[in-house]
Amino acid sequence: MRTVDIVERIEGEAKLVCTWDDKIITNAQIEFLNFRGFEYILEKKAPLDALIYTPRICGICGQAHLKATVEVLENIYKNLNYEIELTNKAKLLREIGLNIEIIDSHIKWFYMFIMPDITALSSKDFSSYKPLKGEKWLKSSFITSEIIKSLAIIGGQWPHTSYMVPGGVVSDPTLLDLTTMKNYLDSAINFFEDDFAGVCIDDYLSFSKAEDLDKIGKDLKDFIDLCFEHGFDKIGKSYNRHLVLSSTELFKVGKSNKRVINRVDLERIEESCEYTFNIDKNKQSKEAYTWAKNVRYADNFFETGPLSRAVISKRAFISKLHEKFEDSVLTRVMARMDEFVHLLYITKNLISKIDISEESFVKPKISLNEIKNAEAKSVVEASRGSLFHDISIKDGKISKYNVITPTVWNLGPGNKSEPSVAQKAIIGLDSIEKAEITLRSFDICSVCTTH
Amino acid sequence: MKKDKKPKVLWLQAITCNGNTHSFLSANNNRMRLFLNSFDLIYHPSLTTDITIKEIIEKKINFDFLLVEGAISSNKEFFSISGYSPYEMLNILVKRTKYLIAVGSCASYGGLHAKFEQNSDIQGIGDSLSAENLYILKHPVVNLTGCPAHPEWIIQTLFSLKDYGKMALDEKGRPKELYYGLAHHGCTRNEYFEWKVEVKHFGLKEGCLFYEQGCRGPMTHSNCNKILWNDVSTKTRAGMPCIGCTEFDFPRENMLETKKNIGIPNEVPLEVSKRAYLSLTGVAKTFKIGRLNKKLID
Repeated sequence: MRTVDIVERIEGEAKLVCTWDDKIITNAQIEFLNFRGFEYILEKKAPLDALIYTPRICGICGQAHLKATVEVLENIYKNLNYEIELTNKAKLLREIGLNIEIIDSHIKWFYMFIMPDITALSSKDFSSYKPLKGEKWLKSSFITSEIIKSLAIIGGQWPHTSYMVPGGVVSDPTLLDLTTMKNYLDSAINFFEDDFAGVCIDDYLSFSKAEDLDKIGKDLKDFIDLCFEHGFDKIGKSYNRHLVLSSTELFKVGKSNKRVINRVDLERIEESCEYTFNIDKNKQSKEAYTWAKNVRYADNFFETGPLSRAVISKRAFISKLHEKFEDSVLTRVMARMDEFVHLLYITKNLISKIDISEESFVKPKISLNEIKNAEAKSVVEASRGSLFHDISIKDGKISKYNVITPTVWNLGPGNKSEPSVAQKAIIGLDSIEKAEITLRSFDICSVCTTH
Repeated sequence: MKKDKKPKVLWLQAITCNGNTHSFLSANNNRMRLFLNSFDLIYHPSLTTDITIKEIIEKKINFDFLLVEGAISSNKEFFSISGYSPYEMLNILVKRTKYLIAVGSCASYGGLHAKFEQNSDIQGIGDSLSAENLYILKHPVVNLTGCPAHPEWIIQTLFSLKDYGKMALDEKGRPKELYYGLAHHGCTRNEYFEWKVEVKHFGLKEGCLFYEQGCRGPMTHSNCNKILWNDVSTKTRAGMPCIGCTEFDFPRENMLETKKNIGIPNEVPLEVSKRAYLSLTGVAKTFKIGRLNKKLID
């Protein structure tokens, strides 16, 4: 038997096509049918214009694309031996902006995408989580609009600012600006303590055992309880292979295939189109069913995202949960939530490290429009996982721009011999509700997946 | 007010990055609560769970406001929404609404997505209504241009139409009251603009971004610098040039550079003669205003 379910409430929509045998899913195709052609749009554009275009690949992770673009352009300089030395202030302001966007995205994801589905499985009254009406939903939307103000202070607005430019950032915050940014993050910490987890942030950050799960209260406890009630601690498991392409204050680069190795070679990344539509019908495979490509590292499918980041950087609490519950829905969601609280703490500290007397920007010696021929790559950790940009410039214009988004790693199609990460996590499940929640645990984004 | 008396709002997403959705979700807390109390948002693809778009179509549900985010195309191979092309979906839903509002530049004019030349029919709502639906609306399409549209523009438009039933639009279909002024108005760098003091480079509070950095503030209709973004700032206040995202020709080329001719920006502020601007610049530059040539905070 074959069933087709339209998955909404992702950024865009997808189709989940399952093949069933005796009430068990034996195959799952995730079809992303919408394509906007960003890589084609970028061709022949002025390199700096990419700073305006790529954030518009996705309305929720635009800053990750911006950072990937600004760094790929700086790597162009580097590859031509005109290396730009960013000031520490510029580096900090970029990482802070990206972190704030990830925090905002994670909270939205929990209340907008995870809780509506998981509470629907229960017969208890969870009306406070009801989208647009429930008090908990409203409060979460209010707190995210508050948090994002701290990014708007340095970016001028969110979404869709391009405040990062080759050489640094455009903004020059005052001490009061920085204080205000910390104030907004403090509001988020209060939200975390009073409404989200019911535990003081310092206590939470000291969690180091799986049993510490029991100390969590409030909304996150509702999730944890529902997870155990419906067996989400046991399902959603995939290859348990993890990849992180870029390092920050919180994340470490590396891969894990049973053991962690803190080294990644970008040359070993390979994209493929076995099941992917092509705008040139003559080049399209007969079996194409989605606009998403698949991507593998060293010939293997790897998961990317908050769980992978927690595993590679060996964050204590999530590492213990991972030992016990492996790469289940429970661990994956907990990793994302754990990341948001760690980012809150770290980002406040990063703001404190800014020396406002430093320059925000160092002007590059030559214009990108004067560059005859060059290529570069960049990697950034975005909300949903590792983001990779690859650019070629010819005669001062972009000649090729390739983007591999986090969701392509997790949600793209498999290949002839193996299912992709999310496919593997779904195959073997016995209900469509479980399949959809498992799919959702990867933080699906249609607009990013196909771009 | 009883729920069934509240005007019904349907938010449709066509070819988009969802930026307008996230802009709207970032609206001021109190304004969002007031919106949710005064309107019934019956469907939004990222939010609602009560009803699907399929049910709205099949059950022939009517509503008051159709908000569309994203550009329109009839090419189903590149883009479909629950099995319909954005063009089909728009033309089915337009029959059920009183008002049609294009949220953002993509919905208004095709915007950035219209640059995807391999899909040749990507355009805005105004150009995407079928002949039979062209005159069906009782009010002209309202274009809330911007990439994204400011949440306050959306909320003000909905309340104005709810209370007054109409609003004055400019020749591009934008509400005059939102777009009569320029992004330049209220910019904290205006004094630098007046005295022709250029910003030396990015990353400074001091100086105007019009002369070197490509700022379109003096020729872009928007009230960004009056109704601040996320309640706190704007691009030009922070130090990013206005990229003209509320205008018909967004996105343009070389958006972060100013094209110049003998040292004068190729395009001068709206409706100012170039010759007059040149003389004015010459005079303004003779003033050496110390305050404007040093750091604001020493």
